[in-house]
Amino acid sequence: MTLNLCVLTPNRSVWNSEVNGIILPTNNSQIGVLPNHACTATAVDIGILRIRLNDQWLTMALMGGFARIGNNAITILVNEAERGSDIDPQEAQKTLEIAEANLIKAEGKRQVIEANLALRRARTRVEASNTIS
Amino acid sequence: MAMSALRREGRRLTSIVSPNPINLLRASVVSSEEQTSLGVRYISTQIVRNRMKSVKNIQKITKAMKMVAASKLRQVQSKTENSRGLWQPFTALLGDSPSVDVKKNVIITISSDKGLCGGINTTSVKVSRALRKMNDGPDCETKYIILGEKAKLQLIRDSKMDIDLCISELQKNPLNYTQVSALADDILKNVQFDALRIVFNKFSSVVSFLPTVSTVLSPQIIERESEAGGSLGELDSYEIEGGETKSEILQNLAEFQFSCVMFNAVLENACSEQGARMSAMDSSSRNAGEMLDRLTLTYNRTRQASITTELIEIISGASALEG
Repeated sequence: MTLNLCVLTPNRSVWNSEVNGIILPTNNSQIGVLPNHACTATAVDIGILRIRLNDQWLTMALMGGFARIGNNAITILVNEAERGSDIDPQEAQKTLEIAEANLIKAEGKRQVIEANLALRRARTRVEASNTIS
Repeated sequence: MAMSALRREGRRLTSIVSPNPINLLRASVVSSEEQTSLGVRYISTQIVRNRMKSVKNIQKITKAMKMVAASKLRQVQSKTENSRGLWQPFTALLGDSPSVDVKKNVIITISSDKGLCGGINTTSVKVSRALRKMNDGPDCETKYIILGEKAKLQLIRDSKMDIDLCISELQKNPLNYTQVSALADDILKNVQFDALRIVFNKFSSVVSFLPTVSTVLSPQIIERESEAGGSLGELDSYEIEGGETKSEILQNLAEFQFSCVMFNAVLENACSEQGARMSAMDSSSRNAGEMLDRLTLTYNRTRQASITTELIEIISGASALEG
């Protein structure tokens, strides 16, 4: 039994094929989805989506959105998604450092919130590029 | 042409006939003005030539505009096709129910800023007006949000009171999701609504643009409808995870749906605009070509008629002398 996974962003479709299972990062937890999961609609936070395909785990960095789990069909709509294998580790590390520096410099509530979000995004990308197991 | 004919005529006249000023004058007058009193009616070649030149210039301009529109269309088309998959999951989850009864309707009309693009803006405005009439009831109110200059010009004339927001110059920078989601955020903050109806032209092919209405319901209405059953009843069968309450998730979902649907609508309208402009410019180039053909015929006829008149005068003058 396999799940049909579809990851979409406003600019393009990032993934559209069958998988064995996924681990989805939601607001307050991570949920694992196996075939024949109950129908669920959930929000997706900034985090790493792990995809299990043929006894191998692949990672994808997601930047927040929604997921709909239907009858063995998962549709994930996010603002941006990048495959772990597509992220350059050095570049991701540099972005992380820039984001950390910005957070320290930020003043005012709005800037702090934005800097926090940027930091989380950068951290997710670094993690996605590191965990290739 | 006219000058060389005059010169030729002058030489012939001086050699054959004693310079007859009346003949010369008449000939020159005939060649350079419209002459109705003499019973010979034809336009001068000068005027026809000027007209031909201007028509040819217009044809060149419209051909260039068509090619520019074609190249812009290619760029936007690939983006549009990629964004089409975006709103389908929402429709699968929430259903698209344009017939839900609501009190506050907000109609978002998407149009272009520049003209010369055929009838797509007029169709959008017509559909918006029809929607408004349809939804007019005792306690229902309808407001407009207008994107683009052309619809603003048309709707401001008769529905000035009902316009909430006017946005233009959308296409200054290439369209991207961040810009549209900021716009959607703006709209959501400023406008109270129960249902949003987005009117745009869907791009089905380079020659066909279908006016479409996409409905986005506000989260309260979604909850109401899903509990009542009907097309949204399926939503209840889905467990909603994440966040504390179901309505919080639904609010986020509705906002996300709105920005995705807006993004797709704006892209499709941009595509339709370029496609309509292409076909409008194409038909105007063809018209200019036909006009040019007709003018060339008139020109040749005029030229030959004036030559014939000169010849007749010379020959009759000569034969008058001899005989």
